[in-house]
Amino acid sequence: MAPKFQIKAFQISSLVKNFIIISIVTLSFLLVFFSKSDLYLINGIKNISSSVIIPITRAISAPVNALSNFVDEYNKFRSLKFENKILQEEIIRLKKWQTLAIQNSRENKVLKKLLNATDNNLTLVKTASLINRNDTLYTKLINLNAGYDDKILKNMSAINERGLVGKVIDTTANNSRVILLTDPNLSISVKSISDGIFSLLTGKGDGKYLVSSFVKENKMPRLGDIVVTSGTAQIFPVDLLVGKVAKVEKNRFFVLPFVDFKNIDYVQIVTSE
Amino acid sequence: MEFSKFLNSSSKLNIILIISFSISVNSFVLFPNVNNAFYILFHLTLIYLIFYHYHYYLYVLAFIYGILFDLLLLNNIGAHLITFLSLLTLFIFLRKYLIRLSSYQIIFIYFITLVILLLIEQILAILIHNYKFNFSSFFNFFLISLIIFIPTVFLFTKLDK
Repeated sequence: MAPKFQIKAFQISSLVKNFIIISIVTLSFLLVFFSKSDLYLINGIKNISSSVIIPITRAISAPVNALSNFVDEYNKFRSLKFENKILQEEIIRLKKWQTLAIQNSRENKVLKKLLNATDNNLTLVKTASLINRNDTLYTKLINLNAGYDDKILKNMSAINERGLVGKVIDTTANNSRVILLTDPNLSISVKSISDGIFSLLTGKGDGKYLVSSFVKENKMPRLGDIVVTSGTAQIFPVDLLVGKVAKVEKNRFFVLPFVDFKNIDYVQIVTSE
Repeated sequence: MEFSKFLNSSSKLNIILIISFSISVNSFVLFPNVNNAFYILFHLTLIYLIFYHYHYYLYVLAFIYGILFDLLLLNNIGAHLITFLSLLTLFIFLRKYLIRLSSYQIIFIYFITLVILLLIEQILAILIHNYKFNFSSFFNFFLISLIIFIPTVFLFTKLDK
């Protein structure tokens, strides 16, 4: 019979045990108290959690991840024929739009020259890929494989080809953490394109919709209106696409974001000059 | 399963703790409930370790897991760390009363502790991190707890035997 593996603990006196327990409790309260500050110890722990712990947890959860990817691939494969038909129709539609867009772009350039208007001067800091996501429990966060070594700083905006994804809330040397638009704790100041109605949007908590928490002069936008960042809070650059008004109630309205938060692989970190 | 003979039940529970922690902090878009289930499994394992395998090293374990859960799920230290350490401290004071209870009563307390723990974590997240309380997510936790509780207790009892 195989012998049982048992860890032989050191015989520590109760005084030392109590000292260790009291030290841990005291250290915990100090950490909670100073967790929101910019202390070296807190930053060090955050750095370790994102650069050491996340890769380890990813390696341990790799079988579940592989299963998830397999199911995803299988679902994609099943809908391939149907998707192909839709894409062919989309190509025809987009070709018509492309012709129109080229005409509008030329016209836009000429009009800008005539008005002497300036652009929103978006600067691309870094294109980063997603390491892992923590958007099921509590907050809606994603971790990226670029940090302050790549000049990514706190409060920079994260976008993708569809529009605004979120805001950088934490950076370490090689990682950064982005809070998604759908998080209930993130507020963005937006305006509707057609009426120019200013409002504040926050995540509804269901991971799908954004809901208005404040609407200037209580003017409600129209259903289907496109909403962009207003740039008034000086956090997000102006005119970044956010979403479309999906539902209007008496005192609030709901916005469906353009970004598909379930399919984010790469994001671009941008800042306005 | 020759390998399992080398490990005592406490080590096996610690392995479950590591696996459930790793899966619960990595979201899977297609299976969001997998995260919730493993998150609850982590809590069940921790409570079981405290109830049946209490050792002061659990303070160190609760400290590390508390910080990591807080940083990875809430981006700030607080809710989980306080809850885990409070549970341990409370257990030391109530241990002498728990010993007198029957196995059914302990299982009932085990479940109640789990639900209270999940609720306190949400309340602390509201108070400390300004997290918005989501009743549907708590209801989801409760439902998953109901589903996985009995199989988990059965599994742990088997491991202990």
